[in-house]
Amino acid sequence: MVARILVACGNGIATSTVVASKIKSFLADKNITVETTQTKLMEVPSKIENYDLLVTTGQFEGKTHNVPYVHGLPILTGVGAESTLNEIYNVIKDK
Amino acid sequence: MHIIMDVFNWLIAAGPTVLLPVIITIIGMIFGLRIDKSFKSGLTLGIGFAGIKLILDFMTTNVGPAAKAMVERTGAHLTALDVGWGSIAAVTWASPIIAILIFAILAVNIILLILKRTHTLDVDIWNYHHMAIVGVMVYFVTKNILLGVGASVVMSLITFKLADWSQPMTEKFFGMPGVSLPTVSALSSLVIAWPLNWLLDRIPFMRKNKFSIRDAQKYLGFFGDSMIMGLLIGMAIGFFAGYDLMKIMQLGVSMAAVLVLIPKMTSLFMEGLMPISDSAQNWSQKRFKGRQLFIGLDAAVVVGNADVITTALIIIPLTILMALILPGNQVLPFADLAVVPFRVALVVALTNGNLLKNIIIGLVVTASLLWCGTSTAPVLTAIAKSVGIKLGANSLYISSFAATSMVQSFAVYFAFTWHPLLSIPVLLIIFTGVWYFFDGIKHVNAAMDEQNNQKINA
Repeated sequence: MVARILVACGNGIATSTVVASKIKSFLADKNITVETTQTKLMEVPSKIENYDLLVTTGQFEGKTHNVPYVHGLPILTGVGAESTLNEIYNVIKDK
Repeated sequence: MHIIMDVFNWLIAAGPTVLLPVIITIIGMIFGLRIDKSFKSGLTLGIGFAGIKLILDFMTTNVGPAAKAMVERTGAHLTALDVGWGSIAAVTWASPIIAILIFAILAVNIILLILKRTHTLDVDIWNYHHMAIVGVMVYFVTKNILLGVGASVVMSLITFKLADWSQPMTEKFFGMPGVSLPTVSALSSLVIAWPLNWLLDRIPFMRKNKFSIRDAQKYLGFFGDSMIMGLLIGMAIGFFAGYDLMKIMQLGVSMAAVLVLIPKMTSLFMEGLMPISDSAQNWSQKRFKGRQLFIGLDAAVVVGNADVITTALIIIPLTILMALILPGNQVLPFADLAVVPFRVALVVALTNGNLLKNIIIGLVVTASLLWCGTSTAPVLTAIAKSVGIKLGANSLYISSFAATSMVQSFAVYFAFTWHPLLSIPVLLIIFTGVWYFFDGIKHVNAAMDEQNNQKINA
């Protein structure tokens, strides 16, 4: 089954597009295909249950219903991006 | 020269779906992208524009007659439909002078950095649309390209400095070191919030109250859900228009569709521009290697904060209410209700999460958005029509909570179109005064300034 990642930012458009495409290309290099969905942070609680992983570009303090959560800000700034992407890889590779 | 102008005019006549791929391919290649990559970027933007055009057409043909009927029946003069910042951004990118504006804004950032007059590195090309739209509007009204470029240059100056000055506050409140937020849609609220917060702090009760609302997200969460908001607003407009139940429900679902589909189209713009932003980032990181800078990010990274969400969820319904009762307002709030969190994010950081102050300041900001939005709706509508957006046959205006609805964008637009020889100097003098206050008296970025000075001495 293809792993599904929910990528959330303030409006579900700007920073989530950057992060989603960087996750996809990083995992594609490791021969993993994932499906990413972008959404607004405010809509995370109502959508999260159908996903394998949540990545947000900013602070997120809502409920994740036991879905693993990775903080994606480093992917955006470039500082520590590699280790964050590896963290995502480690969650996804077992799915 | 004639041939270049002829080609250019031909492209403008062909419309944005042709102009955008060509212009963006050229911009991409200037930024050092391979031709195949920059062409795909350009084509993606062209497709994004085609998508926005479809949705806007769908939106206005559906809601236009209903809004008209609502105005006639209820006397509520809400004739400027809020089509959302995404639509406005698409119109901005479709302007014939966009390439010049983008390079002008980037140049302002690089020059300020070299002169050590800002610490914010902002290469998020997509977000330049907030600064570019003011230039586009000034150019449209005055037909003077220098005034247009000048307006965007002043916008970018203000934006980078506001990002610097608000950085210590965002670092402290949101816990994000090394990052600043040169996103006009978030910074604009501070122009009102800084003085107003100072004023409110003169009242001890305002300063000290611990007023809070628990479980706001649980009970008000649906105000943050685009689908549900679209459905409810659509049905309400249908109801007040005197539609029958079937038509009310049709309008509800159509409006829900609009609110869900606009962001999907807008994200194509972001996707197309990403490779260009990436190469700009690589270039600038090499250029400013070893110097500590604030990396300019989209304010989307802070709006997930719980206090921000709570404030936004309270402001959203109050915005609709205010639109109905605010004297002189004609904006019908709709698509940009989804981005209210951006308008309140930095207010929340400024007050350190004081909910009562957040609501008061948030409402004043909302009033300014509605008034400025009303006053510049005709120009915005004319520009949208000039790039081929039809907007149906009805005489509806379009507006948003972005572009010149925001107070500093409105001020710059006003200064460059009213009596430029008088109003531009006045604006610049005021801004210089504010600059001196923050950098000369308060030294808000003292730590960063120090590091720069040491480098010079060493």
